[in-house]
Amino acid sequence: MFQRILIANRGEIALRIIRACKEMGIESVAVYSEADRGAPYLQLADQSICIGPAIATESYLKIPRLISAAEAADVQAIHPGYGFLSENAHFAEVCRDCKIEFIGPPPEAMHRLGNKNEARKLAQKAGVPVVPGSEGLIEKDEEALALAREMGFPVLIKAAAGGGGRGMRVIREEAALLSGLRAARQEAESAFKDGSVYLEKYIEQPRHVEVQLLGDRLGNVIHLWERDCSLQRRHQKLVEESPAPNLPDSVRKKICESAVRLAKAAGYYSAGTCEFLVDKQNRFYFIEVNARIQVEHPVTELVTGVDLVKAQIRVAAGEPLPFAQRDIVHRGCAIECRINAEDPASHFRPSPGLITRWQPPGGPGVRLDTHAVAGYRVPPNYDSLVAKLLVYQPTRADAIACMRRALDEFIIEGIHTTIPLHREIMRHPAFQAGQVDTTFIERTWQKKG
Amino acid sequence: MADDASTQPNPFDLQTIEQLVALMSKHDLSEIDLRQGEQRICLRRGGASATPAPLPAVTANPAPVALSAPKATETPPPASPPRQLIEIKSPTVGTFYAQEKPGSPPYVTVGSRVTPTTIVCQIEAMKVFNEITADCSGVVVEVCVQNKEFVEYGTVLFRVDPNA
Repeated sequence: MFQRILIANRGEIALRIIRACKEMGIESVAVYSEADRGAPYLQLADQSICIGPAIATESYLKIPRLISAAEAADVQAIHPGYGFLSENAHFAEVCRDCKIEFIGPPPEAMHRLGNKNEARKLAQKAGVPVVPGSEGLIEKDEEALALAREMGFPVLIKAAAGGGGRGMRVIREEAALLSGLRAARQEAESAFKDGSVYLEKYIEQPRHVEVQLLGDRLGNVIHLWERDCSLQRRHQKLVEESPAPNLPDSVRKKICESAVRLAKAAGYYSAGTCEFLVDKQNRFYFIEVNARIQVEHPVTELVTGVDLVKAQIRVAAGEPLPFAQRDIVHRGCAIECRINAEDPASHFRPSPGLITRWQPPGGPGVRLDTHAVAGYRVPPNYDSLVAKLLVYQPTRADAIACMRRALDEFIIEGIHTTIPLHREIMRHPAFQAGQVDTTFIERTWQKKG
Repeated sequence: MADDASTQPNPFDLQTIEQLVALMSKHDLSEIDLRQGEQRICLRRGGASATPAPLPAVTANPAPVALSAPKATETPPPASPPRQLIEIKSPTVGTFYAQEKPGSPPYVTVGSRVTPTTIVCQIEAMKVFNEITADCSGVVVEVCVQNKEFVEYGTVLFRVDPNA
């Protein structure tokens, strides 16, 4: 087992990893930028090293400085957290070259799954349903027409160089396809300097259901069931829960088993998430794999009792998974609300600054993952996540009641947060009935921004 | 500064003033006082001090975080050097080397005069050696790290007296 691990991240996930290390008797080395100097969570690590100025490209993303810090601190492994360099195959390769274990999947699996086209092909080979679409780029308009007729409308024209929700155009009827293609190509050319487009079936008001995966270096891969993350705004998740409400057991099982098949085909190990869209007829389609631990991993930890970060560390140390698929039993219901430093009443404008009052919730069934404390200054340089508020109860109704209670207890002053929005979500009849999809937040809160 | 043969150098000529200002900046001078006959020009680089407030080192004891908002008054930072010294700080993370190679004399010692382009040390990271320049002018009054010591971003390497 490792003696010492460097955490190449910051904020709440850095704290999460420090906690796992402490419980395992592993020394932790934290890194920080000037913007995070003095942050209280750094004092919980055994050592902390300043690696650069506030700007991430000169600190948390600066590979030579991270490696230098790792070598000087004599660590055996680096945990990349999520975001930053967690899905950077080059960083994983550099770690390997420097004989430092990268706590995550192998670079080969990252390459295979990082390319959307490659991942899609791999999924098809593994018998995992993908969103129907063109085999590659659309070269001729007739090709697009034939394919659209075959798939059925509505279809989605996607810019190959786009991403993060950008460069997509919905075409609802055949008459609009050709002009839509022309416009999409022009837009893509001007926005991304690359006019190539491909076609996909447009899934109306889908749910986002993802599967937590865990693999070891001996080839064992298991799933830890699913999470529903349909509540999103601009492709950023706000609320996650497990189990996915109103999903038939047979579908749940098929989705989870597909995810495991794909992970095995990719030679995947460590923690990862396989994302799917589920349509109104409960048909599911693979969209992508996130080859890292995710923000919402505690949701799965609560319903399965498995500590995913400790599991990652053990896998990286070469240990086999200490459980088989049949040992992963899903119990109860967990919900997570992401508390971001944003003002939902002002178009979610970021709200960094000094937290003048901090009164966190507690009591049965409440878990709070946060690096913030009273007097903490939320820096403006990074993502706005301040805290993850989770609840765990035997039923979904109990979990919602518990979350409402916890949100009411939670007092944060000095910055704006998404707490008021979460209170409204928890009260909303559609959410309570488990009838939400990925368009819900934007449809319901369109007027307020 | 080369004389312009076609005109007499005139302290109140805008071009001259611009050149003086550029020179002051380049060589990190804080004051120029020139006289020629009855004419005199005095330029002072004023406002913020050239010495950046020294950052606190990584602390071992947890300090309670103050709840009151920080004020803009001149509360001197705790580790403030006694004179107005310039601190040369590490721009990267790595191992500090005081000399070019083993056996060579150190790049600088206490008493060495530096200019902005003087190489004061090397910092090695991932087998790449980075030469670090002084980026200031003056005399080294303190060497703050030892040879082969690990330095972080922002670690104070040297203190320089700009007025010596």
